[in-house]
Amino acid sequence: MRNPRTGWLLLSPTLIILIIFGFMPFLYVLVVGFFDWNVFAAEDGMRFNGLGNYRRLVFDDLFLHSVGLTIRFAVFAIVSEVVLGFLLAQMLTRKFPGKSLFRIIHTFPLMIAPIAVGAIWRLLVIPGFGPVPFVLDRWFDFTYQIGTYPDQALATSVIMDVWHWTPFVTLTMLAGLSAIPREPVEQAKVDGANRLQVFWYVTLPFLRPVLLTTVFIRIMDAIRTVDEVWMLAGGGPGTRFTGIYIWRVTSPGASADWGYGSSISLITLYLTIVLCWLLFIAISGRRKGEVE
Amino acid sequence: MSDRQDDVGATRESPERAKLKSASERPGFLPFHTNAFDRVFIGVVILIGIHLLWLRFMEPALPIEVATVISLVVGYVVVRRG
Repeated sequence: MRNPRTGWLLLSPTLIILIIFGFMPFLYVLVVGFFDWNVFAAEDGMRFNGLGNYRRLVFDDLFLHSVGLTIRFAVFAIVSEVVLGFLLAQMLTRKFPGKSLFRIIHTFPLMIAPIAVGAIWRLLVIPGFGPVPFVLDRWFDFTYQIGTYPDQALATSVIMDVWHWTPFVTLTMLAGLSAIPREPVEQAKVDGANRLQVFWYVTLPFLRPVLLTTVFIRIMDAIRTVDEVWMLAGGGPGTRFTGIYIWRVTSPGASADWGYGSSISLITLYLTIVLCWLLFIAISGRRKGEVE
Repeated sequence: MSDRQDDVGATRESPERAKLKSASERPGFLPFHTNAFDRVFIGVVILIGIHLLWLRFMEPALPIEVATVISLVVGYVVVRRG
């Protein structure tokens, strides 16, 4: 197994599949992004447009609004999920009555398809029908209408995402916590470290790889969320609650113009990569002066 | 399979790999450790960022080719000294 040629030979099926189904479509989208290719245009086919699609994109107010909204959604949802997921994982490392039952019920949302999650939450929050607006109105005199107030639509989407994806974060954190050896923790306690110090200097460094992987997966998922949010609020009120991909799918300009649509996809990919990379630098401890 | 796993499951680097890594990683002006791939990647990210910002804010005053020249210079500096 030391021979690198054998290694490459064994890897080749995966690499070929990756090149055909991953790299070549990416290159195709990259090329199409420089062309004007509208399916409803009078002239058939692609016409070279240079940076025209990107020029149009950076002045598109709806796109810029959707980027801001998506980032807000992703930040609120992921921070909440990581904090809640970690606390639940900590809780699940201890013994308490009904732990197995709690663990099973807690992972139920993960098994539901996103479109069904959106439908369930829509039934919960429809004004005049759902229990949430009814209770908020009766008990707290609070007007709750996600079809009227965009902030409420954002908050509801975040809560729905947290409900759906926190179990995933809990499971990954639980796996990470279970892999931490007891010796360093006990050693720190013997040395007089308090719980916060044990968490900061022992638990968190051991959890870093798990934390990074979880946050990356959630960032990529949150940025391309369409179905559940679309099912919940339908991109409303008006066009004020359209994330990047909802806008990409529903906007007539973006969905019929494949060149423009490709440029949107690429910019979204660029944003995702930059966000993940900045987080990687921040969390992975590759900063100068830190011990790896 | 030059890396080994220790008792906790964390990957430990082999001496040959660590030697190679230290050869490609070197101190620069960037505030974190980078290897050659990192620096090229940062150069590409900066190139795209400068072009997008240029299209939005600077293009009426100066053509996009200026952005290309600036980002190539910045990319070169990052790759050589980052």
